[in-house]
Amino acid sequence: MPREAEISLNEREFIQQALRDHIRLDGRPFDTFRALELTFGNEYGVADVQLGNTRVVARISAEVTAPFPDRKFDGIFSISTEFSPMASPSFEVGRPSDAEVILSRILEKAIRRSGALDTESLCIIAGLKCFSLHADLHVIDHDGGLIDASCIAVIAALQHFRRPDVAVEGESATIFSIREREPIPLSILHHPICVTFSLYESGEIMLVDANLAEEQVREGEVVITMNKHGEVCQVAKYGGASVDALVILNCINVALEKVKGITKFIQSKLEEDAKKRDAGGLMAELSAENAR
Amino acid sequence: MTTTHMIVLPGDTIPASSLPISTNPNKALTLGPGLRHIPPNTIKATISGALTTDVRKNATWIEYNSGRYQPSPSDLVIAIIASSVSESYTCTLTPYAPPTTLPHLSFESATKKTRPVLPLQSLVYARILPFSRYTTPELTCIDPSTGKADGLGPLKGGMVFDISLAMARRLLAGAKGGVMVLEMLAEKLVFEVAVGRNGVIWVEGGNVTVTLKVGMAVQEVDRGGLGVEGQRALVEKVLRGL
Amino acid sequence: MAPQALLSHLHRADGSATYSEKGYTIIGSVNGPVEVQRRDELPEEAAIDVNVRPAAGIGSPNERHLETLIQATLRHVILVQNFPRTLIQVTLQVRSLPEEQSTGNGSAILKSSLMLLPHLLNTALLALLSASIPLSTTLTSTVVMILSSGKLLCSPSSADLVRAQSIQSVHVFAFSAQKSLLLAESQGEFDIDEWDEACELAEDICCKETGVAVDEMDVDGKPENLEGFLRDVVREKVEKEQMWKTAP
Repeated sequence: MPREAEISLNEREFIQQALRDHIRLDGRPFDTFRALELTFGNEYGVADVQLGNTRVVARISAEVTAPFPDRKFDGIFSISTEFSPMASPSFEVGRPSDAEVILSRILEKAIRRSGALDTESLCIIAGLKCFSLHADLHVIDHDGGLIDASCIAVIAALQHFRRPDVAVEGESATIFSIREREPIPLSILHHPICVTFSLYESGEIMLVDANLAEEQVREGEVVITMNKHGEVCQVAKYGGASVDALVILNCINVALEKVKGITKFIQSKLEEDAKKRDAGGLMAELSAENAR
Repeated sequence: MTTTHMIVLPGDTIPASSLPISTNPNKALTLGPGLRHIPPNTIKATISGALTTDVRKNATWIEYNSGRYQPSPSDLVIAIIASSVSESYTCTLTPYAPPTTLPHLSFESATKKTRPVLPLQSLVYARILPFSRYTTPELTCIDPSTGKADGLGPLKGGMVFDISLAMARRLLAGAKGGVMVLEMLAEKLVFEVAVGRNGVIWVEGGNVTVTLKVGMAVQEVDRGGLGVEGQRALVEKVLRGL
Repeated sequence: MAPQALLSHLHRADGSATYSEKGYTIIGSVNGPVEVQRRDELPEEAAIDVNVRPAAGIGSPNERHLETLIQATLRHVILVQNFPRTLIQVTLQVRSLPEEQSTGNGSAILKSSLMLLPHLLNTALLALLSASIPLSTTLTSTVVMILSSGKLLCSPSSADLVRAQSIQSVHVFAFSAQKSLLLAESQGEFDIDEWDEACELAEDICCKETGVAVDEMDVDGKPENLEGFLRDVVREKVEKEQMWKTAP
C-alpha cells in the first residue's frame, strides 16, 4: 500500500499562522464540533455517524456462546476496529496502523473497561450460556476526529440495539427470534463520550474536533472520556508537546459541556427513531393492559 | 463552437451522426479523453459523461468531472516534493498516485551550483513533459523553447485549496470556462493564484484572511455550480465580510 | 422495489457509490490508479485489489471467495492495459442485509454468499463509473432462483423468500451491455435446461431489450431493467456536473 500522504509545507505553515490569528480554515470557533449527524438503520443496533466529512458506521451483533470459565456470570463484549482502504488507500487490511491501534485502545478503555455495558445482564445460564456482544466499527470516510465519531457511534448503537428474548427452564434456554417476541434493550450503566483536544504552539492553542489537515499539523493531543455526570473514564495524551495540569483541568471542563450536548443529541435521535418504528402505535396495541 | 450531444456510458458505440463533420476533409478527427478507436471505424466511449464535439477543431471528447487526475502532456500542475534523489526530485500530483520526477536542473538558469534546493513537502508549479504510459512522467519548470521560467517554479507561502478537475480546467480555459470570480475579487483585493490541472489552486493574498476568502470563494463557485450572476452575488458577500 | 443508488458521496475516495436493493445496502469505493507495491506490480497492466467487508465480524473464506470472483470479472471490464504498474482498489462494505440473512433464520442456501454477489458487482460498477475509470463496457448482475415447483424467481425480496418454501438452486449471472455473459455462478441441483431458462430470464432483467419499451415491462410487474437504471443514474450525475453551464 502507498504511504500516507503528507500535508505540504505551505499548508502546514498557513494553518499554524491562521491559528495564531485565531482563525480556523472552516471558520469554526476553537471549541466547536463540526456538524454532527446520526442515523439508524432498519435493523436494531446500526448507527451511522457523520461528523463533518468523517463517517463511521457501528454495528452491534449478538450470538449465544459459553462464557469464559473464569467469569461464569458475565457475558462477553468486544469491539473491533479494522480500517479499510475505503477511508484511505494507505490502510492495509490485516496490518494495523498506529492510528488504528490507538483508536481501538481508547475505545477499549473508554467503553469496555469503564463498565458502560452491564455484562452480567448478558448471562443466560451461569457457566454454560451467555450472549456474546460484538461491536464492529466501519470507517467509511476519514476527515479527522475518528476517535470522537467512533465513540459516539458505538454508544448510540449500543443504546439502539435489542437482544433476543430468552426463557430459561432449568438447564435449557429458548432463544426467541424477533418475530416471536419483542427483543429487549441492553442494560447500559452510563454513556461515556470521547472529546479530543489538539494542541498547537506548545500547548497554548487547543482545538476541539480537529479535521484531518489540522490533525496532521498538531503537536499533541489529549483525549478525555467522560459521561454527562462529569465522571472522567479515561485521559490519554499522545504526541510530544508537554501539557500543564491546569490545561487538562480546563479541557475537562470544556469536555463536560460537549459530552452533555452530545448525550442529549443521541437521546433525541433515539427517541425520534423509536417514534418512527412505533408508527400507528403498534406497541400500545401489543400491550396486555386494558384501557378502561 | 462546442456542442454537447448526449450522455454516454462506457462501451457505447458513438454513432457517426454524433461525430463532428469537418469542412476540411484533410483534417483528421481528434479523439479526446474518454474515447477509444477500435479499427477499422468504431469509436467507443470508455467513461460515462457528456459527449462533446468541436466542429472547428474537428475534435470530440467526453466531458466528465469525477475521479482522480490523470497526468497528460503539457498540463500545468501543482506538485509536492516527496523526496530528492541524486539528480532529480520525486513529486506527487495527487495523494497515493505513482510518483513523477522533476530533474534538479529543470529550473530557470539552474546549474549544478545554482540550482534551487527545495525542502521536502514544498510545492512547485510545473508543466508535464510528453511521456508514454509505461514510463514515469517528467515535470519541468522551464519553457523548453525559451529556457525561461514563465511563471513556473517553487511556490512560496500561500495556501492550496482542492477544487474539482472540471473547475481547474475551466479556470485555465479563460473566458470560455465561465469563471469570473477571480476577476471580480481582484477589483478590490490583491492576490496571486496558480491553478494546477491536478485539481488544486494555490492562493497567496499577503495575509490569512484574504488568502482564505479567495480560496473559499473559488471552492464555493465550484461546489454550487454558480453561474456569472451567482458569482457576482458571492463576491459581494465576501467583500462585505472583509 | 426499484434499486436505489447514490454516487460520489464520499469525499476521500476517488469514486464511491451506495447501492440498495431488496434490503441489501452496500457502500462501494474505488481508489485508483494509485501507487502499487512492488510485489503486486504487473508490468503490462493495472493490478486490481478487491476488498469485501462483511457487515459484522471480520472477513472469512466466504468473503475471500467473493473477492476472487469479483476481481476476475472486473479485470475484463476495466481497461487495465491503460494503467500499467498501478493499482485500482475496490472496497465493498456491506452496510445492511435483509432480515433472513442477518439473523440466520433462512435455509442454508439463502445464507450462502451467492445472494450477495450481484449486489456487490452492481455496487462495484457504480463506484467505477463514479471514479471515471476507463471501462470497456458496463456490467449488470442479478440472481435467479429455481424453486422445487420449477418456478423461477428473479432477485427475490425477503417477502418472496418467506412464501417460497423450498429452493432447489440459485444462479448468479452478470452481463455486459453487449449481452455477453461475464459471470455465471450456480449452487444447488439443476439440469442444463433449467440453467438455460434461468440465464434467459436474467438476460431480460439485466440487458435492455432493443425495440421493447422499458415502460411496458413495468406494467407486467416485472422488476425494472438494470441497464435502464444505470443510464438514469449516470444522467443524474452528468446533469449535476454540468449545472454551471445553465446557472444564472
